[in-house]
This record gives sequence, C-alpha cells and structure tokens, in this order.
Amino acid sequence: MDIAYIGEWTWAASLGRLLLAVAFASALASTIGYVAAVKRPQSSWMQLGRWGFRIHAGSSFGASALLYLLIFCHRYEFQYIWKHLNDAMPVGFMVSSFWGGQEGGFLIWMSWMLVLALLFLRRNPGPLEAPVMAVHGGVFAGLSSMLLGLYFGDFQFGLDPFLLLREAPQNMGLPWTFNPDYLALIPQFADGQGLNPLLQNYWMVIHPPTLFLGFASTLMPFTMAVAGLWLGDHTTWMRRAITWAFFGVAILGAGILMGGAWAYEALSFGGFWAWDPVENSSLVPWLVLVAGAHLLLINRNKPGTAITATYLMVGLSFLLVVYSTFLTKSGILGDTSVHSFVDSGILPQLLAFLLGCCALFTALLLPPGRERWAFAAMQLVLALGVTMSNPAVCILLMLALMTAAVLRGHLAHLPRPEKESPLWTREFWMFVGGMLIFASAVHITFQTSLPVLNHFLAPFSSLFDRLFEATGWPLARKLAEHDLAPGTDFDATYHAIQVPLAFLFIGITGFAQYLRYRKDSGKGLFMKLLRSLLTATVLTGAFLLAYDFEAWEAPRVALLLACLWSAAANADYVIQVLRGQWNHAGASLSHIGFALVIFGAVLSTAKKDIISANRFGDLSMLNESLSNEEDLLLLQGDTIAMGPYYVCYRERRQEGIHAKFAVDYFETVPESYEAGQVVGKDGFLFQCSSDHTASPHFTSDMEDHWTFIPIANDRQQRQAKPWSAGRPGPFAFALDPRIQLNEQMGNAPEPDTKRYWNRDLYTHIKWGRVSDPEADEDGWMDGRKHDLMRKDSLVIGKSILALDSISAVTMEQKPAFGLLDKDLAVAAHFRLTGNGPDTNFAALYIVRDSLLIPDMVTLNGRGVKVRIDGFRPAEATFETVVWENLSIRRDFIVMQAIVFPQINLLWLGCLIMTAGALMAVRQRKRTESRRNPKAT
Amino acid sequence: MSRTNIVVILLVAVLMGTLFSVFTTNSESVVFARAFAEPGVEFKVSGTLEPDHPVVYDPEVAVARTRFHMRDKDGEVREVILNKAKPTGLEQSESIDLYGRVIDGQFIAGEMLMKCPSKYNEQSHSLAEATEAP
Repeated sequence: MDIAYIGEWTWAASLGRLLLAVAFASALASTIGYVAAVKRPQSSWMQLGRWGFRIHAGSSFGASALLYLLIFCHRYEFQYIWKHLNDAMPVGFMVSSFWGGQEGGFLIWMSWMLVLALLFLRRNPGPLEAPVMAVHGGVFAGLSSMLLGLYFGDFQFGLDPFLLLREAPQNMGLPWTFNPDYLALIPQFADGQGLNPLLQNYWMVIHPPTLFLGFASTLMPFTMAVAGLWLGDHTTWMRRAITWAFFGVAILGAGILMGGAWAYEALSFGGFWAWDPVENSSLVPWLVLVAGAHLLLINRNKPGTAITATYLMVGLSFLLVVYSTFLTKSGILGDTSVHSFVDSGILPQLLAFLLGCCALFTALLLPPGRERWAFAAMQLVLALGVTMSNPAVCILLMLALMTAAVLRGHLAHLPRPEKESPLWTREFWMFVGGMLIFASAVHITFQTSLPVLNHFLAPFSSLFDRLFEATGWPLARKLAEHDLAPGTDFDATYHAIQVPLAFLFIGITGFAQYLRYRKDSGKGLFMKLLRSLLTATVLTGAFLLAYDFEAWEAPRVALLLACLWSAAANADYVIQVLRGQWNHAGASLSHIGFALVIFGAVLSTAKKDIISANRFGDLSMLNESLSNEEDLLLLQGDTIAMGPYYVCYRERRQEGIHAKFAVDYFETVPESYEAGQVVGKDGFLFQCSSDHTASPHFTSDMEDHWTFIPIANDRQQRQAKPWSAGRPGPFAFALDPRIQLNEQMGNAPEPDTKRYWNRDLYTHIKWGRVSDPEADEDGWMDGRKHDLMRKDSLVIGKSILALDSISAVTMEQKPAFGLLDKDLAVAAHFRLTGNGPDTNFAALYIVRDSLLIPDMVTLNGRGVKVRIDGFRPAEATFETVVWENLSIRRDFIVMQAIVFPQINLLWLGCLIMTAGALMAVRQRKRTESRRNPKAT
Repeated sequence: MSRTNIVVILLVAVLMGTLFSVFTTNSESVVFARAFAEPGVEFKVSGTLEPDHPVVYDPEVAVARTRFHMRDKDGEVREVILNKAKPTGLEQSESIDLYGRVIDGQFIAGEMLMKCPSKYNEQSHSLAEATEAP
C-alpha cells in the first residue's frame, strides 16, 4: 500500500539513499578495477577503477549536497535534520548541524578523503595510482557501507542519514505514520529539536571539519604504504608520502588543539585537556603520524633505514584513526569516560572495518605468495569464529597473528640496512625521537583502551582467579575482575610516564637539526648548542623564581627546561645555520611551536592556582585529607577576598538561554589600622599600638604595631574584627560566568575568563540558582532545621539570629505566655540583629499532657519565623525550625576561580607549529617539483 | 647487536614497566561490601544514584559536601559523602564512579566520575510518545 504523503519530500529520501547506494556500489567497482589494474595498468580495468571512483566521488558529494539542501530548507520530516536543527539556529550553526551526528560525521570524513584523493590523482600519480586508489576504494566502500541504513531483520547495516522520522524504528507502525497529512497535523514537525545548546558555539563550526580533515589526511600515507608493500617498492612511495604526512601533522595538530581551546572556553572541565578518551583518541594518531612523518624524512635522505618501523608508524596512524572512531562510536567506552558513548548499532560493522584494515596491512608485510594467502585464510577463519563463537578470544588470536606477521615480515621480508648509521647523525636521533613519541602514544592508547582490554580479560577470568588463589598475587585478582579503569590522578596515570618521555623527545628536537644526515657530525656540536643551552638555563631559572617549584617536581622542571632549550636551539638554528632563510625554517618553527605548546600546557597545569580555595577553611570538617574546598560561597552583595582580588556577586540576570551571574572584581589595597583598634588573629586578640598600613603577613607587623591582649574585656571582644592584610580597592573588571539553561541535557555551567598576557583568570559557577526558590503565597520558603545551643547563631538574609539564653518558664510567668499551670515549658531567648533594630524574643517549647504544643513565632517585618520542635535537656539543645521569607533572602553562588599562568604560550605555540609544518610542506613540494618536474 | 636494536629493546622494556605500573596504580574497583571491609583503603565503587533518597547539598552549611545514596553493582544502597560541590547533572547521571574510602563507617569520596547523557549522546527521541494521539 503506497500512501502519497502531503508536503513530504519523499523524493529526497529516495534520492539520498540512491546516491549512497550508488556510492557504495561504485566504490566496490572501483576497488575491483584498480586491484586488477595493479598488474595490468594499461588494461580496461584501469578505466573501470577510474570511472568507479569518479561515480563514487560524484554520488558522495551529491549526498552531502542533498543533506545540506535539506538542512537549509528545514525539512524536519527527516530524522537527522529534526534531531540536529531548529528554526532558531543562525546560519553558522546550520552549517555545523551537518556534523551534529555520526551520519554527518562519516559524510564529512569521506568528503575530505575524496578531496585529498582527487588532489592526488591530479598530481600525476604514476604507477602508484592503481594500488593507492584500490585501497582508497576499499576504504570508501567500507565507510559508505556505514551509511546504507539497511535492516536485515534486527540486524542494522549502516546508519541512514536520509531516514524519515515516520520510518524510524521507534515510530514504526504508529497510527500517525499512515496519515498522509501527518506533517501538517502534528505540531512537532513544525520545528526540530535543534543542535544541543552545548554544541552551539563557534568552535563547533570550525573544530570538527578541521579534525576530520586531519583524520582524512592520514589515509593517503597509509594507502601509499600499502601500495609500497604491494609493489615491493619501498622508496618511491616514501618520498611522495612526506608532504601528505606533514600536511596531516599540521592539520590534525591544529584540530586537536582547537578542541582543547573549545573545552577551555566553553565547557567547565576546568582546563583545556582532561585526558578524556575523546581527546586521547585524536591525540594518539597524531603522535604516531609525527613519528611516521619523521621516519619518512629519514628514508628520503638515507633510503632503506628502519623500513619496518616506517611502515608501522605510517600504517598505524590511519589504523588508530579507525580505532578511535571505533572506540568513540561503538559504545564500548561506556563506563570510563565522563562522556557517554552510545552504541549506535553499527559496532559489528566498525569492528569488521577496523580488523579488515589491520589484516590487510599486516598481510602485506609478509613475503608475497603463499604466506600472505595462508595468513588471510587464518584471519578469515578467526573472523568467522568472532561471529559464531567467542568474539574476545578470536579477536585476541587475530591480533596475535597480526603481531606474528609483523615480526615475520621484519625478519624475513622487509629489507634491513647492512650498515648502521654512526651515532651522531641526524637520522639516528630522529629515529630515537620517533620511537619515543611512539612509546608515549602506546602508553596513552593503553590507558584509553582499558575498557577494551577488560573485554579481552573476561574469558580468562576464572584462570586468573585460580592464579590468585594459588599465589595470592593481587594483580591476578585485579585481572580476574576485568574491571580496569584509568586512575583519576592524572599525575600518576599519565604525567609520570608522559613527562619523562616528552623530556627526551623534546630534548632531541633541540639538537637533532644541527647534525647531518649519514655523516658523523658530533664534533663541535656542543659549542653550537652552547648559546641556546645558556639561554634556556637562564630562562628556566627565571621561571623557577617566578613560580614556586618543589623538589618532587624535578621531572616537570626538566621538561620545562627541555622545552625552552628546544625553542631556543631551533630559533638559534634559523639564525646560525639557515642565516634567516625563512623558506627552510618550517621544521625549526614547528619544533619551536611544539615546545611552546608543551611548555604552556605543563606550566599552566602544574602551577594553576585555584584562588577560590578556602585556605583557612574549616579544617575540622570531615577528613582533612579528603576535604576539597576549592569553591567559594558568595552571598549576593558581600565583598570578600579571593586571591589577589576582592570579589562581589552583584546580580543574576537572564539573557537568552543563559543565566548570567555578574561578579565584580576589585583590586586589593593594603588595609590601614589606627592605634586602639582591636583585631583577632588565629584565635588571639591584639590591640593596635600605632597607625600603620598592613603588610601582607601579620607576623611582620606584629612586633612594631600590635600588642597582645592576654585577657580581653567584653568591649574588646565585641569590637574585634578579624585581621586582614587588605581591603577592597578600586573596581577592576567584571566577569559573567553563566549557566546554560538546557532542557535537553540539564543545565550546564559555562566559564568566563579574564585574559592577561601572562595568565588567565578562569571562573565558573559550581552551583547557582537559575530561578527563585519555591515559596508559599506569603513568600515563606521551606523551613530548615537547626540544632541550637546557647550562644549559637545563624545567618538569615542580612540578619543574625542568636540564641542568647535558655530558661525554664516559672509558674508566675505562665499566664503571661498564655500557658496552663500543668504545662511544662522551656523558653529560648533569641536576639535578631542587623538589617533593622535589635529584636529580642522568646520561643517556647511547650509540653501539655505529654503532647507537644507548637509555638510559632513570626517576625513579619524581619521576614523570619521560628518554631521549637524539640528540646534535649542533656545537651541543652533546641531542635529549631527557621523559615526565611523571600523578601529578605540573599541569593548566593558557589564559584570556582583558577589562575592559569602562561597559558597563552600554548595557543601561540599551536599557531607557530601549524604555520611551521605548512611552510615545510610547501617547501618540500617546491624542491620535489624542481627535482622531478613530472611527478609532483 | 646493533644500536637501533638496543634502542628498540630499551623502549620495549620501559613500556612493559609502565604497563605493569598501570595495573598496579589504578585504584581497584569494588562494591561497598569490600570497601567497608577494608576501611581507610582507597577504592573505586561504581553504581547508580538511588532516586528514592534526596541529594543533599547545602552550600550555606558546607560548600564542598554533597550527600546522596548510591546503589552499587550488588544492589547494596549506602549513603555516601562527596567532598565536592554538587556536580552538575548528578540527578540525570546514568552511572557513577566514586573514588574514596571508608572513614568512621561512612564512605567518603574525593573524586567522582559520572556518565551522563552528554553531548556525545544521541538524545532519546520521545516523538513516538508525543505524537501518539495527534
């Protein structure tokens, strides 16, 4: 039965699906054509490959264009559009709603890969064309299969970006889906849900496309490496892959740091990097790509060096991109991340794609012929095992087999140099640096992959249990529980390993450029480096003085020194060796940039100062070691000291989807004291003996200006104010940390930052009311219970309620209180001070015939109600309920404020690094075209 | 033995060492019963927020103290104290990892991770319910 739906763009759904199906089919055809053309380049197979690719590219771009058309026409009958777009979104966010979901993410990733592939084809690919494009075809087929959206029973094959809402599984069969006029009848279709407000940030427009371009740029070196293995030619591809690899280094690096900038600016993690799986899984491919790109450079200058390592690094950078896609899109990370990853139903497909890519790559590392086929057959059998029996064991076996293949390839197939490079050559140290970067990537991957590892441990659980029983080895018990998770202490989990590794490889970037390829050039090296070493030492000394470092931070300081040295040495290289030839300075510049990024990251993280921390706080509270007083309670209108400022929470106002909390900052000026004034300090009272201006520490003033009061009289006790070095001075600036009112996701805090050239003051709301609290029609809020003893006091609005004394109500007083003779009564004498005249009143605890008679005391003018609900004679404690009226309520917020020193070096370094890498790419292209004008 | 091989072997050794340390430094993930059996030792306890009990956060009394009830993987429900301001989205959380120890018969956590329906999550789509009776 066909229903002609009114107003629905049914044709667009059909067209979109057709385009994607054609894209999938033509990618397959292109693969077949190109594979066959590897052996017979002149045959018509090549034409099949080329046309298949052209059709694939055309239909993929067509599908993207169609999706954009639907976005700009606000076609809310499509699930993807309805989920990620609404009428209120401006054009910029309309553009970014394209990659608001996984389907669009795949599309943009594929589109970038296609653009790069087209560039490759335009630049005279020569014999590399067939194998490179064959692998491309396979990858395109794999990726476009994730967008097919076919269902085989319950099994989902791909996510369909052109799915109509009425066809979505959750709506299947509902009555309205059979109504031809449903679009007009159902109000929900008038507008979409819209992009999650958390994502409505300008970084959302620029960060994902950059990152996806970075991810896409790892494909070209990978396919070239596969082509090299396929053709058995280990030099041609390496020369050609260099520019692609460094382009990827530049773009992916920029993309990752943009993510950091976004997190820092708009999300309240309290920093720019949280070692979150999402961040890690984009960092790791970048690190490996950096290692690979440098190994390619070595091979350009000394062909045949570290061939296996080069293949592995270049191959792994792409495989890790696929792996990270798998991690973040498959739902497997579930429990370890602050983010939630939902299994979108394509886990089997992603896993098959990932394992397929790995198997293809490792198979080609083996010697050609029988071994490859045997390996492929074994992998296929195991893959069948994954679907039929135990997935974890089978995948583990597949991975073990792949490792064996890599070793076998290294030992039996890939060429190894007969003669090693001398110690003091550029290539040797570049190789060492590359391996160190790889080690750092392995460590991060390992931490991120613990949830995956848990799946592998599960089948061996009972084995480990028995091992634990036999040996009592705690590690065995841990493994048996297969519930490993990365620790929360970043210092122990990441920094303990990453800092020493970074120290080593950044140190290597300091001197490696001064060495020459192939020739032992260690002589005189130290003299060339002397200038930069001295500069770096002096600078590090200056930073040591400026920011307090402790002895245990030695590794960190060493890393800072290495960063400064690397920056100085690379700058010196441009002056000393290149003599200012900027065209050749790309590498030096990007090293400087990288050193600055790490320097800024390490210093701003290590020396971040949570100035909202309550340093004198209530240490008796709970357990001191666990107490976490990082946040400041700010009552509206109060001005209190916070770090170098005085702060005042002025007002809350609502602007659009934000509740903004205006906080004023004032300079601190030294307090002045006059003779005769009494202050309290650490529980002791002092009297001022001479007029003076306070110094930062009380101890330095004590001798000259203060007299200790051994026994204070009442007046002195009342007058005593706590000593403070400063008082609020002139207004400095205001910040508006805010809470985003987000109905879909729950309200989310967003920071506001004051930027200085050498530090940032970063503030965010930890707790704040976005609307007035609930109250009855007279404005009374819910009562709060307090246990009060004599001399206890409470702050209520701007007043203080104090329990002055307790007395039993005598026979004579009873009639005055309206009590019967048989009543038992205790009176609590309260005093309300501040915000009006002092008021004394009594609240009674009355028991009549062993029943409690409630006695509510209402001070209407002052907005306070008090009732005694219980009396514990042994402790002389009243169980008191106090109500507060909205009219006297003071709003408050809980705020965190952090100073990040030198964080701007991080962003500056990022710009320099990207610019440097792009300069190097341009220069490399120029020299290549000069040397070999045909094949650029 | 070439120098390159030495570098590679050294790196492998360092990595094995770090991986081993990974297993030993991470706090162990347990249920309440174990944490209460070994007071004072830091553990990770995972579970879900128990919605029948209120989340108590009263910044005017203590800025960094949140009390709530959590149900662990064995189904045991306990009141826990988190020494932090109430994290945004606690009520919406799907699961909670608490890092803390038992002190005086009370589980006190210094660190907490939540799994929340966040930006990486596809929102749940209740259009079906909303549109059942157009």
